[in-house]
Amino acid sequence: MNIGQLSPKELGHHLQSGGLRWVIGPFVIHLRSHVPDFPEYLHKFYGENQLLMPPWNDIADFHLTLNPPLGLRRYWRPKVHFRLDGNAFFTPFPLDHAPPLFEWGLNMAIAARCNHWLLLHAAVLEKNGVALVLPGTPGAGKSTLCAALALQGFRLLSDEFGLYCPQQKCFLANPRPIGLKNESIDVIRAFNSQAVLGQEYPNTRKGTVSYLQPPALSVHNAHIGATPAWIVFPTFIDNQPTCLEKLPQAESFMRLAANAFNYETMGVIGFECVTDIVQHSLAMQLRFGRLEEAVTLLQDLTQSTRPIPET
Amino acid sequence: MNRSNPPLLLRVLRQPELFPGLPVSSQDLILRQARRTHLLGRLAAIFQEKGLLEHLRPRVNNHLISAFNLAQEDRRMLTWEVNRVGRALWNTGLKIILLKGGAYVFLDLSMAKGRHVADLDILMEPKDFPLIEARMAEHGWKQANLHPYDQRYYREWMHELPPLRHRIRMTELDIHHTILPRTSRLQPDPRLLFTAAQEVPGNPMLKTLAPTDLVIHAAVHLFHDNDFDKGLRGLLDLDGLLDHWAGDAAFWEQLLPRARLLDLVRPLSYALYFCQTLLESPIPKATMEQIAAEPQAPGRVARGIMKQLVTRIMTPGDPDRLEFSSWLAWSLLYIRSHWLRMPPGMLVSHLTQKGLRRWRFDVRNRRIV
Repeated sequence: MNIGQLSPKELGHHLQSGGLRWVIGPFVIHLRSHVPDFPEYLHKFYGENQLLMPPWNDIADFHLTLNPPLGLRRYWRPKVHFRLDGNAFFTPFPLDHAPPLFEWGLNMAIAARCNHWLLLHAAVLEKNGVALVLPGTPGAGKSTLCAALALQGFRLLSDEFGLYCPQQKCFLANPRPIGLKNESIDVIRAFNSQAVLGQEYPNTRKGTVSYLQPPALSVHNAHIGATPAWIVFPTFIDNQPTCLEKLPQAESFMRLAANAFNYETMGVIGFECVTDIVQHSLAMQLRFGRLEEAVTLLQDLTQSTRPIPET
Repeated sequence: MNRSNPPLLLRVLRQPELFPGLPVSSQDLILRQARRTHLLGRLAAIFQEKGLLEHLRPRVNNHLISAFNLAQEDRRMLTWEVNRVGRALWNTGLKIILLKGGAYVFLDLSMAKGRHVADLDILMEPKDFPLIEARMAEHGWKQANLHPYDQRYYREWMHELPPLRHRIRMTELDIHHTILPRTSRLQPDPRLLFTAAQEVPGNPMLKTLAPTDLVIHAAVHLFHDNDFDKGLRGLLDLDGLLDHWAGDAAFWEQLLPRARLLDLVRPLSYALYFCQTLLESPIPKATMEQIAAEPQAPGRVARGIMKQLVTRIMTPGDPDRLEFSSWLAWSLLYIRSHWLRMPPGMLVSHLTQKGLRRWRFDVRNRRIV
């Protein structure tokens, strides 16, 4: 059963009693929440995700709560707390910003607990059965580019985390709503009128944020991973010509290692993972000033089923 | 929430083979409790030693491996920090006495595998402090910006210098000159610790406390200082140490006389008592009988109260909510540790100074098992 098959009211009922368990790629989430509008958000943005019903035959990766504080703060400038196993590691958000708090809280939880995989700060998409990795620094245009490619038929593996499994030697899909910030929101609206965007959350610490629904097909196929084939380091520079150029392997290794959240934690395995990824991929650097041009270039690049990397 | 008796996590620490056969909800609870008590990496190492990891659900395995990798990173950090401190003090002729985690790692004890560490603790003689502080400053360690009161608190009353932090690696180094605060009720003679310290094989600059002193120090740390936040981990450390020397008759013969000499019989008696009752540590019957008969050993009432409080603190409950009984036990033990730490007059002034600054955030948001 999928989340979307329950009404927001039914979802709310589950969230308030034993909690709701659902699947996001390799993760099982267990969330309890009393936030009034949150079931609508789940219904809209996680509607295609598989819902789990008792009896549970596996553990949950994250036991989360998203609740207003007790006492008077419930009424005076109401806030919401995100907790992982009962621990709050974020300052509370205003109550109507529960969805960004949930998404960022979940990011934090994944980053803290997935040191069995190499964790890249990257968007990952699949084309022709192999993965295009877009490692990003904040502001590099990673999410915008990822959203545009996902809307153009690339399969979304992740907007935030490149989860590389050292055993399976592939990226694991964990498609979630894509968080678009500030100007990107209108850029994506203009790029594709079919894009399903939610409400805007103004004045967050990343500015205005709005979420883009992940493509249903990507969510349905989230059990399928993809081996790396292209690594493209994007940089958005307003009003500059778009260009795509090859990167030497040594440089792409260093940049990818620096991009990982847990390269040092992973020790030898981290080194081997980055080596694997770099050796099996064509590494490029993309400077773009216009989204359409970048998308066309990446579509051309990924036409072939698999590039032949330089040795 | 109903607590199973004995609690699941303790049962699994005693008998790891039970884990794969437990219902999934129990496994889930154990992982969460182990994580909260900083023992998930240790649990992973125990399962690995017993060859159990392969028999677990992939999802359970993932969490264990993840925690183990984090602990391995801690271990690398610790080993490297020891190397760097060694370099900073090179050709000073000083020997570095590793305490706690550092000692367990360099003695290559199996209880150090998967053990989480936050910082490096070393024991040095106060007469060498000016030289050590100068060398550390030259090599990039800085003192945190401490409130003047805290500076004085450390320098005059504590058993360690204000913590140093490396300005690039951001790692913390605690330099101790003894194992209990100067103001504490119990005053072991640190010279005894220095003379008995033993060289780490193959590492002439490094030393660790003698085996008996390692156990006594761990006991003091847990039962006389305020380290109940990581209570169960501390108890498991003690269990690991006792287990390591379990077959060594000379160790058991020396343990109690050594505690007498150091004037630390009481914390040791608590350590042995709780290791035996909660973790079934292998302690000879004769040792238990002898220590119970010591004049310094806690009386029936004191032990009864401690049994309630410590058992409550060492047995984690529902990870989602703070139970009142845990909070109460934790608070009472916190007060006890301060009571033991300094004379009443000083305690009142200290709590007034610290209270307002600290209570607001730190204590209220402190994790309690």
